[in-house]
Amino acid sequence: MTTAKPGPIIPPEAAPLRTLTVTMAVMCTLACLAIGALTLINRAVDQWSHGLSSEATVQLRQMQGVDPQAELAKLQTLLGQTAGIAAVTVMDPKDAARLLEPWLGTGNTADLPIPRLIRLSLDETHPPDLEALANRITIEVKGASLDTHQRWQAELTRMARSLSLLAYAILALIAASAVAMVIFATRTVLDANRQVVDVLHLVGARDGYIARQIDRRFLATGLYAGLMGVGLALLIFLILGLSGRVSGEGLAAASRSLLFAPPTVSLTSYAALLAVPVAATAIALITSRLTLIRMLRNVL
Amino acid sequence: MVRLDAVGLRYGGGPEILKDITFRLDPGAFCFLTGPSGAGKTSLLRLLFLALKPTRGLISLFGEDVTALPQPAIPLMRRRIGVVFQDFRLLDHLTTFDNVALPLRITGQRREAYAQDVMDLLAWVGLAHQADAFPPVLSGGEKQRAAIARAVISRPELLLADEPTGNVDPALARRLMHLFLELNKQGTTVFVATHDEQLIRQTGAPALHLEHGQLRAA
Ligand SMILES: Nc1ncnc2c1ncn2[C@@H]1O[C@H](COP(=O)(O)OP(=O)(O)OP(=O)(O)O)[C@@H](O)[C@H]1O
Ligand SMILES: [Mg+2]
Repeated sequence: MTTAKPGPIIPPEAAPLRTLTVTMAVMCTLACLAIGALTLINRAVDQWSHGLSSEATVQLRQMQGVDPQAELAKLQTLLGQTAGIAAVTVMDPKDAARLLEPWLGTGNTADLPIPRLIRLSLDETHPPDLEALANRITIEVKGASLDTHQRWQAELTRMARSLSLLAYAILALIAASAVAMVIFATRTVLDANRQVVDVLHLVGARDGYIARQIDRRFLATGLYAGLMGVGLALLIFLILGLSGRVSGEGLAAASRSLLFAPPTVSLTSYAALLAVPVAATAIALITSRLTLIRMLRNVL
Repeated sequence: MVRLDAVGLRYGGGPEILKDITFRLDPGAFCFLTGPSGAGKTSLLRLLFLALKPTRGLISLFGEDVTALPQPAIPLMRRRIGVVFQDFRLLDHLTTFDNVALPLRITGQRREAYAQDVMDLLAWVGLAHQADAFPPVLSGGEKQRAAIARAVISRPELLLADEPTGNVDPALARRLMHLFLELNKQGTTVFVATHDEQLIRQTGAPALHLEHGQLRAA
């Protein structure tokens, strides 16, 4: 009897698919890098808004004809009466002066009317009404003002938003070019097998049957390229993470935090990375299937 | 079974190859098609296996108007037709066995279900020893027999053959004709285009003559 396994209906000539595998793997790597950046941005926004909104600062400027100690006492009483403030720390004037040293030089600050800084830790579960508090402080304590860091925080958040929009745009572009590549490769495969497809049609094969013979390979290509892309991206993160000196602390630390964050945090980022091969497979399969069905219908 | 009504065909903007072709094949008929080279025999057969649409006129197969056939119904109709192509159209990347089995395989049948039938048929056309060979290494006559085996493996209701004995010796030609007659006895309608006058006489079946785009009884 003859060989046990029937030969493949479409010849396994793989050249267009090999090119597609390589380019799709590269695009998947880029997608993973974009996702890594997105993850870091989102985490940073979380930390900023968290860290900053759990704190506020009161500045008490020295004013002529006003006793700073009396105003400070008044301020402390007022803050003590306000619900939602967990702790009040009055910064030592020397510490405050030290903060200015980089700009003014050592020992030059003695005569300057440096404002007193009072740090407030806010109760995050029951935060005070910061707007009302700011009003009271300005009215009741001479030279005092509340800085809630909100403006600073809004600025950072806005910047981070634009960065993550950019990352999403990059992901969309990568997906779009992957679709275009798959369409192109599908056409190439179909053109190379025009004769075979004609014969299949003439012996009564359905378009769906012929399409399945071909898009199976695209499914494998997408999956393989996706996994290669993720692997390559993880390798890049690892190399960056291990080479702190070369790549600069910032990038290295960022890569490390991507790879080795505690499970609760890293779970989502790993899930996002694993979505890349899934998306690559889906794009390859669906795009080639639709292209095949459309093209096969046009040949009689 | 087959009905053509005032069918005309031209390729692109060229001359009309077929003009006002009108004829019918009854179920169970056995009929030859003759005519000089370039008369349009292959073109007429291509109309019949739905590889071409007529420029004008009506074609109906199995009682259905094929010009009005919806796209999804075309594969199903083609499965009822076996075709032997003048240029064989074997798939070079598949073995003789797989080539012959193709019409069964594309309907979703499993290899175990058809393997014996395919081997029997290959033995009948004298190709059993070439079952695992690929078409590029087959002789012209062997390719022709493989093409014939592929056309008849699914026991089609209509068999269209274009010069099916052009590459074999007279003895083998008679043997292949015998296969066609055997199928015809079991109910297959057979329509064979050929130049071989002797074969037509030996078979004793009626022939239609195509010339200058017109069809007449030979
Ligand atoms: N695809 C095509 N495009 C344009 N002209 C074609 C095409 N196929 C065939 N023709 C023309 O149609 C005419 C009939 O060709 P056809 O192949 O039907 O002849 P035939 O009777 O089968 O000839 P033969 O006996 O040599 O096989 C020829 O003049 C040929 O040039
Ligand atoms: Mg011909």
